[in-house]
Amino acid sequence: MKRLLYLFVILSFIAAGCSQKKGNNYIRASYKTDIHIVSGNDIHGAIENMPMLAAAVDSLRAIDKSLLVLSAGDNRTGNPLNDLYTIPAFPMVALMNYIGFDASTFGNHEFDSDQPLLSKLVTLSNFPYICANVFPDAELGIQNIPYKFFDVKGVKVCVLGVVQLGIQGTPDSNPDHLKGIRFEGVEETINKYLYLRDQCDVFILLSHIGYEDDCAMAEKFPQFDLIVGGHTHTQIEGGELHNGVLITQNVNKLQRVTHTILTVENGKVTGKRAENIEIASSKNKNPFVAQIVEKFSDNPELKRVLAVATAPFSTYEELGLLMCDALKEMTHSEIGFTNMGGVRYDTHPKGDFTVDDVLRLDPFGNGVVIMELTPKEIEDMLIACFYADRNRFPYTSGIKCDVEYTANAKNEPEKVVKLTLTTDDGKPLDPNKKYKVAGNAYAVTVSDSPREDEGREFGSISSDLLIKFLTEKKQINYSGRRCLTEHIVK
Amino acid sequence: MIVKVNNEEVRIFKGASVKHALLRYILRIKADVSNIEKLQVKDCKGHQIDQDAPLKEGDSITVKL
Repeated sequence: MKRLLYLFVILSFIAAGCSQKKGNNYIRASYKTDIHIVSGNDIHGAIENMPMLAAAVDSLRAIDKSLLVLSAGDNRTGNPLNDLYTIPAFPMVALMNYIGFDASTFGNHEFDSDQPLLSKLVTLSNFPYICANVFPDAELGIQNIPYKFFDVKGVKVCVLGVVQLGIQGTPDSNPDHLKGIRFEGVEETINKYLYLRDQCDVFILLSHIGYEDDCAMAEKFPQFDLIVGGHTHTQIEGGELHNGVLITQNVNKLQRVTHTILTVENGKVTGKRAENIEIASSKNKNPFVAQIVEKFSDNPELKRVLAVATAPFSTYEELGLLMCDALKEMTHSEIGFTNMGGVRYDTHPKGDFTVDDVLRLDPFGNGVVIMELTPKEIEDMLIACFYADRNRFPYTSGIKCDVEYTANAKNEPEKVVKLTLTTDDGKPLDPNKKYKVAGNAYAVTVSDSPREDEGREFGSISSDLLIKFLTEKKQINYSGRRCLTEHIVK
Repeated sequence: MIVKVNNEEVRIFKGASVKHALLRYILRIKADVSNIEKLQVKDCKGHQIDQDAPLKEGDSITVKL
C-alpha cells in the first residue's frame, strides 16, 4: 500500500509539474504559475539609487524568490563616481552583482568603455550580457551571449537580447571603442532566433533599441510575450500591449523600475500585467547596499594626479584655453571652443592637477560635438555663443579671436561689431577651407547660427577628454597664454 | 539632423539629447531657460521622457512652457 501511494505521488508530480511534450524534445510546464520580473533600463551609473532598488528587489523576493531581475542596458555613463572609479564603471557592476541581477543586455553606452575595459566589466559581472547582434572578435575577450534560458519555478523562460544601431550600423558611442566588434541588424537578428519560441514557455526580448522600435518589433514578432525595453528613456505606465506583446520601459537613472507578472498556464502565457515601482523617491533602502554606495562615493580615483601645473592658472581664459586644447587635440580637430560660462573657476595653484580638479572645472557631463565649418560659419557661431552666454565671448584653441564691441551704460560688451580670426601664428583663416571644430555640446547647442554642418556627437564627454589630455601631457603651463583680445569701441 | 519641438523644426547635431533640442528651441523662442531641467517633456505618443533621452532624425517632442 505504501509503495502504491509512493508511485501515485510520483506520477501526480510528473503529471502536474512537467507533462506536455512538444517539439525539440522540450517538455512544457503544464501548471499555472506567476513569473515575476523586475526590470530597469538606462540606469546610467545612478549608484545613489541602488540601495532603494535593492530594497524593492528584497521585498519582491520575499514574495517570490524566483524573481528575475533584468537590465535593458546603459548601466554606465552619467555619474563620475561610477564612470571614473579606479576600474571605470565597476561600482555599478558590483552593485548589480550584489542585488543579484539575472541578466543585462548591452546598451550603446556600454561601449563608452573601450574594448579591454568592457571585457573586464563583463568578466567581473556575475550575470550574463545577453546581446545577439554584437559579435566581438575573439581576442577582445568580450563574452556576451545571444540568449539565455532561465528555469523559473519549472517554467522555461528564454531571454533574447539586442542593442540599438545608429545610421552607421553601430551603436551610438565612441567609434574607436567599436573597432573589432561586428554588429548585425536587429530585425535580421531576431528572425534568426525565432526558433527559440518553440523551446520555451515565455519568450522575452531584452531590448536596448528604443520605444518606437520596440513597438515595431512587437508588430513584426508577436512570438514575444514581453519586450523589456530601454534606450529612449520612455516612461510607460505599467506596460503597453502592442499586437499582444507587452512592452515596458522607464525614464533613466532608476527613477522607476517595472514589476511585470506573467501568468503561465500549460506552457502558455495567459495573463500579463505590469506596474511601475518608484525607486529614486523611495525611503526604503537596503542598508548594506547603502554602505557599499557610501564606500564607492569616497572615490580615491578623484584624488589621482593627472598632470603637474608648473605655473599657476590665474584667469578664466587660461583654464578655458586648457579645456579648448583638450577638445581640439583629443578629437584631432583644428579648432576647439568652449563657452566662457562652461569654465567654472578662474585660478588653480602651481602643482598637482587632479581628477577632482577637472570635475570641478567642467562638472556638467557635456558631450563633445565635431563640425566641419568655413571661417564665416566659425565667426557666426562664436558670435552666437557670445550672445547666448550673457555677452561673454567664448574661448578658442587653434585660432585667436580679436573682437570689438559696443558697450552698454555700464561699459560692458553689448554688441559685436567686428571679429577677426587668425591662426595661432597670426595668419588669416583660409576662406576656401572647412575647419574641423570641436566644441562642448552645450556651447554648440546655444550657438544657433547658420551652418551647413550641425555636427555629430563625438562619443565622449568633455571632462573625459580633459582627463586624457592631462594624463598625456604630464606637465602643463598656461601662464600668460591668451586666445582672446577684446576692445570696447565708442 | 532635424527634430520637432512643439511642432517646430529644430536643426541640431547628430546624437543630440532631448535637452539639446529643448535648449535650442527655448532660446529661439526667447523663453526662460532658467528652469529648463524641470520641464516635463513628452514624446510623439504622449509618454514622458527625460531630458537625457537620445533623439534621432525626425523625432518629435512636446513641452509645456
